[in-house]
Amino acid sequence: MALLGFVVNPIAGMGGRVGLKGTDDVLDQALELGAEPIAPHRVQIFLTKLRSIMESRGIEEQIEWLTCAGTMGESDLKTNKTGSMTYEVVFSPGEPTSAEDTRLACKRFLEKDVGLIVFCGGDGTARDIWQTVGEKVPIIGIPSGVKMHSGVFGMNPEATAEIVASFVSGELDIAEGEILDLDEEKYRQGEWHIRLFGTARTPHEPTYVQVSKVQVEAVGEDAIKEEIAESIVEDMEDDPDMLFILGSGSTVGAVSKELGIDFSLLGVDAVVNKELIAKDVNESKLLELLDEHKKVKLVISPIGAQGFILGRGNLQLSPEVIKRIGIDNITIISPPAKLAQTPMLRVDTGDKELDEMFHEKQYLRVVFRYKTMKLVKIMK
Amino acid sequence: MRDPSGFMRTEYEDLVEKGFDWKLRTLEGPSAPRCKVDGKDVIMLCSNNYLNLSNHPRLAAAAKKAIDTHGAGSGSVRPIAGNLDLHIEAEKAIARFKGTESALTYQTGFAANAGLIPQLAGKGDIIISDQLNHGSIIDGVRLTKADRGIFAHRDMGELERVLADADKKYEKILVVTDGVFSMDGDIQHMGEIQKLADEVGAMTFVDDAHGEGVIGPDGRGIGAHFGIAGKIDVEMGTFSKAYGVVGGLIAGSQDLVNYALNKSRTWLLSGSHPPAVAAAQLEAIKVLEEEPEHVKNLWDNTKYFKNELISMGYNCGDSETPITPVIVGESHKAKALSDRTFELGVFALPIVFPMVARDAARIRTMMNAGLTREDLDEALGAFEKAGKELEII
Repeated sequence: MALLGFVVNPIAGMGGRVGLKGTDDVLDQALELGAEPIAPHRVQIFLTKLRSIMESRGIEEQIEWLTCAGTMGESDLKTNKTGSMTYEVVFSPGEPTSAEDTRLACKRFLEKDVGLIVFCGGDGTARDIWQTVGEKVPIIGIPSGVKMHSGVFGMNPEATAEIVASFVSGELDIAEGEILDLDEEKYRQGEWHIRLFGTARTPHEPTYVQVSKVQVEAVGEDAIKEEIAESIVEDMEDDPDMLFILGSGSTVGAVSKELGIDFSLLGVDAVVNKELIAKDVNESKLLELLDEHKKVKLVISPIGAQGFILGRGNLQLSPEVIKRIGIDNITIISPPAKLAQTPMLRVDTGDKELDEMFHEKQYLRVVFRYKTMKLVKIMK
Repeated sequence: MRDPSGFMRTEYEDLVEKGFDWKLRTLEGPSAPRCKVDGKDVIMLCSNNYLNLSNHPRLAAAAKKAIDTHGAGSGSVRPIAGNLDLHIEAEKAIARFKGTESALTYQTGFAANAGLIPQLAGKGDIIISDQLNHGSIIDGVRLTKADRGIFAHRDMGELERVLADADKKYEKILVVTDGVFSMDGDIQHMGEIQKLADEVGAMTFVDDAHGEGVIGPDGRGIGAHFGIAGKIDVEMGTFSKAYGVVGGLIAGSQDLVNYALNKSRTWLLSGSHPPAVAAAQLEAIKVLEEEPEHVKNLWDNTKYFKNELISMGYNCGDSETPITPVIVGESHKAKALSDRTFELGVFALPIVFPMVARDAARIRTMMNAGLTREDLDEALGAFEKAGKELEII
């Protein structure tokens, strides 16, 4: 029996159809503009697909959903109940429902020890859930929001169903997924910035290595990150004068762990000869460091679901900083499971000319195992 | 107090629980087209004995005779005192057969890959691999300090881009690939690879384990198949498959052989093949040169078997070789089909996710030149019966 949490943000995505940048805090405006709920339809697609996959793959595991009363889960599960899926309401939201209800429901799920939380919503919902569950329980989203930059969504409701079915049958690994959302403070000042808030856990296809001719073995995400980190540390050993600028996220964080230095998960750090020389630096500090060091390498990892290497979550790496570093001095690293979900890389540096310089390259080298790389297309 | 070896049992039990442990089946008697496995008479469709040479009377006689003339063992590693005239003769025969200047035998195919690849590239160099390369190549690559580049399976556009990228950055470039891929039975575009490699001055290394004795005129392997015999820097292979014996080999220039035997640690530090093995290797090559019917029979059987399976409604993928996958989709279906066909007297293994994609689970069949038309019809009958019972066809 798989015990899974299920929470629906009933208003998710409603702002998008009427041209708003989200539905958080602007529901009344969205309703006035004629927005209609889209979550129930997305959930319906998800549940129908999940049922058919479980049947066709012969997955015998039963799913018991723990959910919330009414439109936050119960009403969708009621109409889609079958023999292999049952549900129990463990939380009753207020009226109208709010983000606080999502957080409280997730608290209940944690108390009940669920193995996975499935949610329907966008970046805002993902963030609400992450604030409560952190990295304690993996989460996976049925995409239904206006913004979906976070790395915890299936590509579409059907893909989320595939992931949940594979998770239930024990085939998946748990890996990191970044939580990204609009930086509201900047937005109120009229700027559109997507910020990295932290990392959640999410089910991933494992990375396999061949053991024998007809057997393979899954390698854990952490082991892979360590391997990649070893490659970078060897590069550091090769050139003790080189300035290494380490970007945000836990993939790059593994390099700092390998070095045994303190690091900032959400920020940018600077290392020379395997020693931390500056932590969580801003743009001006970076420019200063670039004045002081002739040789430099920037190590970054794609952030979120859409393969952005620049322009999401790492604004310190401004166009000027990147130009000073030089595109050829950027080392991109990514565990293979994540790379499989982001077949294209993207940049959005805020500087058209610089973006164009990336696009001209067409392909960028990505290190995905120890000293092992492939060329990945960069999307215009 | 620590338990010094407790991990062995724990990890083994974990494998058993997940169903990932090997359950060894026992072959009672020779590896033949029809043989006895765990007490059951079966048609063998999962050995690598493509040409049915493992039990060929000429090979068996040559092995017996070598025991009479040279004894049971070789006495040493080859660099010291275990280099027999039989080894040298077998190597001359390989070079002649494959159309290369020289050749060298290794203890196994794995020893060739794991021993030679690490000596071909190091720091400041790059090894470029097809993403589906065999585990022994991957292990060989792991032993080097070279960077590694990967290209999508048989994607020549991607290889060209990776080569162009590497050309600017690295000193030595080595492209390494399987010749015939053992899961799908498809053939690498070796002619194209050689051309692309020549353009940037890259070395080429092909593991032709499933191609030797199978593809190319009279089974001379992938170099001959693409008309580039002697041009590939390293044609690596094995005596354990179509040649019916055991042992690895490399074929190429005299420079390659001189370098390889002085540098490969697996070669330098393992005892050499016993006389019976070396003599059987030599005889296998002679049989291929003098009895072309085995390769012909292998292909006739392959074509008949594959066509019949397809006309029954089975999906046999893109195989171009005697490896014929019977693709049935979900893993549980492939396992059920394998169990049922075994009951019906056919021995072939299921290959399931994650070895292949979730929806491409299969039974992998490997043809044998010694199977008669009656044998094949019986095997096909089993596939038809089981496929209908399980509603696959």
